[in-house]
Amino acid sequence: MHEMSIALEIARIAEDRLGAAASQLVTVSVEVGDESGIEPANLEFCLEAVLATPPFRGAEAEVVPVRGDVLQLAYLEVDDGNPDD
Amino acid sequence: MAIQTIEVRERVMARNDEFAAQVRARLAAKGIVAINLVSSPGAGKTMLLERTLASVGEELGISVITGDVQTQNDAERLAAYTSRIVSAVITGGACHLDALQVLTALDAIDLDSTRLLFIENVGNLVCPAHWDLGEREKIVLFSVTEGEDKPLKYPAMFKRADHVIMTKTDLLAHVPFDLHHAIANARRVNPQLSFLEVSALRAWGLREWFDFLRYAVAQEPAGT
Repeated sequence: MHEMSIALEIARIAEDRLGAAASQLVTVSVEVGDESGIEPANLEFCLEAVLATPPFRGAEAEVVPVRGDVLQLAYLEVDDGNPDD
Repeated sequence: MAIQTIEVRERVMARNDEFAAQVRARLAAKGIVAINLVSSPGAGKTMLLERTLASVGEELGISVITGDVQTQNDAERLAAYTSRIVSAVITGGACHLDALQVLTALDAIDLDSTRLLFIENVGNLVCPAHWDLGEREKIVLFSVTEGEDKPLKYPAMFKRADHVIMTKTDLLAHVPFDLHHAIANARRVNPQLSFLEVSALRAWGLREWFDFLRYAVAQEPAGT
């Protein structure tokens, strides 16, 4: 029920970590436990809505189901726009 | 394109838990016990607090923070029973209180004369279970007009609670509610739970409730 609060907090952590690179964010991976009180599909929806607003430019939310009451931001992926080596 | 992966591994609730730790530290410094009262809407949190403030509000130095999605109605109801400020938090749509809201609400409260702080959470058996507010005890109110299977439907709340107060027991004569079955369901979810039975309307069980609060206050180490 409070997935939007959680999505906003995840976005805050991401912005905190990335700073100016927030606009390059392409993937956010979140581990969601089956006892965390969070509904994965709902969180994914909220997170992608939040990540479509500045400083982000749209990113994919990847929700990884795990056991227990875990709720953690696992990793971020950014694309610096440079061609691969 | 060059994709770079940044390991974060940060708990989403970490910031809330930091604020909860700040609430705990401020209360501990003053020797204040905080109780987080949670329940579904209409289980009787405000009425129990009205009776509590009227009878032992001064004796136990009780202050209250109320949380509601909209209106200050609960705070206004409770203000009639206490000379202290009732600090109202309007969440503006959010389904729970968070620790930062409580930390901010503490500023309105006279902590020097407070020994017991009630945090009346938003009426909701789902979300408030997941937000530590810096309380010492979480108490769930469970009214006899609800289903006996509430603890099974909302296990997170009952798992994280310390005590359950069965409310509106005066209605047991009128509703098909099996009190023992309800308590057994709660114990299935959390065997550590203790139970009180009250009717705030008829003043049944209030003496036990007040004694429980006196004991909770007496157990708290004095402030520094």
